[in-house]
Amino acid sequence: MHHEMLDHFAAGVSPIHRLDPAAKTVAALAVILATVLVGRDHFRPLILLAAALVIYQAIARVPVGYTARHLLLLSPLVLGIVGLFPLLEPGRTLWAIPLGPWRIEITQAGLVRGGHLAAKCVLASWAAFLLMATTRFQDLLQALARLRVPRVLVIQLAFMYRYLWILADEVMRLRMARAARDGGGGPWGMRMRSRVDLVGVLFVRTYDRAERVYWAMLARGFDGTMPATATAPARPVDWAFAAMTVAAALLLVMADRCLHG
Amino acid sequence: MAEPILEVVDVRYRYPTGTDALCGVTFSVAPGERVAIVGPNGAGKSTLLLAIAGFVPATGRIRLGGHTLNRATVRDVRRHLGLVFQDPDDQLFMPRVGEDVAFGPATMGLAPEEVHARVHEALEAVELEGYETRAPYHLSVGEKRRAALATVLAMRPQVLALDEPSANLDPRGRRRLIGLLRALSTTLLIVGHDLDLIMDVCDRTILMDAGCVIADGPTSAILTHRELLESHGLELPLAVAARQTPESPR
Repeated sequence: MHHEMLDHFAAGVSPIHRLDPAAKTVAALAVILATVLVGRDHFRPLILLAAALVIYQAIARVPVGYTARHLLLLSPLVLGIVGLFPLLEPGRTLWAIPLGPWRIEITQAGLVRGGHLAAKCVLASWAAFLLMATTRFQDLLQALARLRVPRVLVIQLAFMYRYLWILADEVMRLRMARAARDGGGGPWGMRMRSRVDLVGVLFVRTYDRAERVYWAMLARGFDGTMPATATAPARPVDWAFAAMTVAAALLLVMADRCLHG
Repeated sequence: MAEPILEVVDVRYRYPTGTDALCGVTFSVAPGERVAIVGPNGAGKSTLLLAIAGFVPATGRIRLGGHTLNRATVRDVRRHLGLVFQDPDDQLFMPRVGEDVAFGPATMGLAPEEVHARVHEALEAVELEGYETRAPYHLSVGEKRRAALATVLAMRPQVLALDEPSANLDPRGRRRLIGLLRALSTTLLIVGHDLDLIMDVCDRTILMDAGCVIADGPTSAILTHRELLESHGLELPLAVAARQTPESPR
């Protein structure tokens, strides 16, 4: 059983793929931070950021559909938060929906605010996604270690990446084994119950595996520290890319602040 | 006879539930010997391996490569015992095959060039040259098995201990593994049910049942003893059975 990997396109070849992972990580962080810092209801800086991401994506030759599909996966989360804004923000009422004794009012200011927040969410996830799509996860982990992210966190991410798919396979097998016997039918209560049991079984199996993996590590001399792996040093072009992105992001935020107060 | 490389003397272990897992196991292995430990499910074979590696708190004496196993020497013992676990997904825990093979040598504190050389040598020994940057998740079962073997070979252990090395392998993968194992010059300890593999690889066999050693002798004597095998939940290896009953079944 195979799943689409997080870094499906990360093995590609483009000038962007060749950039140093740490430089790309810094650049992505700068873009995300700039997105977050853009003032309320200012759409123009967001359009500039989007344009930058479009160019990045084009150079890296990441398919548009692939990006859109992954960003859509995040949409329930975004809509859940953003969807409340048109209802909560005071302002000129555009539509009023009667709901029994209450009236739900959708305001213009609320729509703008919600739209702005949604755009920010999409841009920030897009930037993070492009980093993932152009950097192999293992390289990203090494970059994080070089950027002084606590080692424990990096190791945890490494294990997550290594075992996520094995866990997903296990869920799939358990679900198939169940479906093979109940055909996916049965009374609702029983289905829910078996779902809860499945989570329990999964927990026990994961726990057992964690112990076996730990033993396998001990058997090879693990003493609590992970050996560091050598990485290629960053080139001038990597430094230039990171510095230019950070400078541009800073400029954008400052211009936004000065022009709009 | 040469000084044994592995000595197991009166090793006992009782599960926390109260069942006896090992009831006084004693044997020793000379350098270069290839020993198989066979027996039915629950005979205590895997537990014995874990006890030798110091993972289960067994009583008795275990001596490997000049170190008597105790709390202070457990790291030395593990360093000289190359233990390959049953599920290669447990064994391969690093994001890339190369990093995984490098894990053992690197934790031993070897210099980066030496680590690199060991990784290359180990991957070559299991015919996985060029797999350094591959993710374990994308390997076939056979490749995972061989990669798991490489992670241990890179540490150049004195004794190589394999738990069910051929489980889930297709005949081709199995054949390849047998070839690799036969080519190794290390002392081997193979636990499993694949009696045909054991016939091919090991010169000595220890039969265990219910935590005890039932028989210990040349593979050619034990794995051809139908009554002995059948009374302990095993059966003759196919190769032997074919030789003993030449007429084809109707």
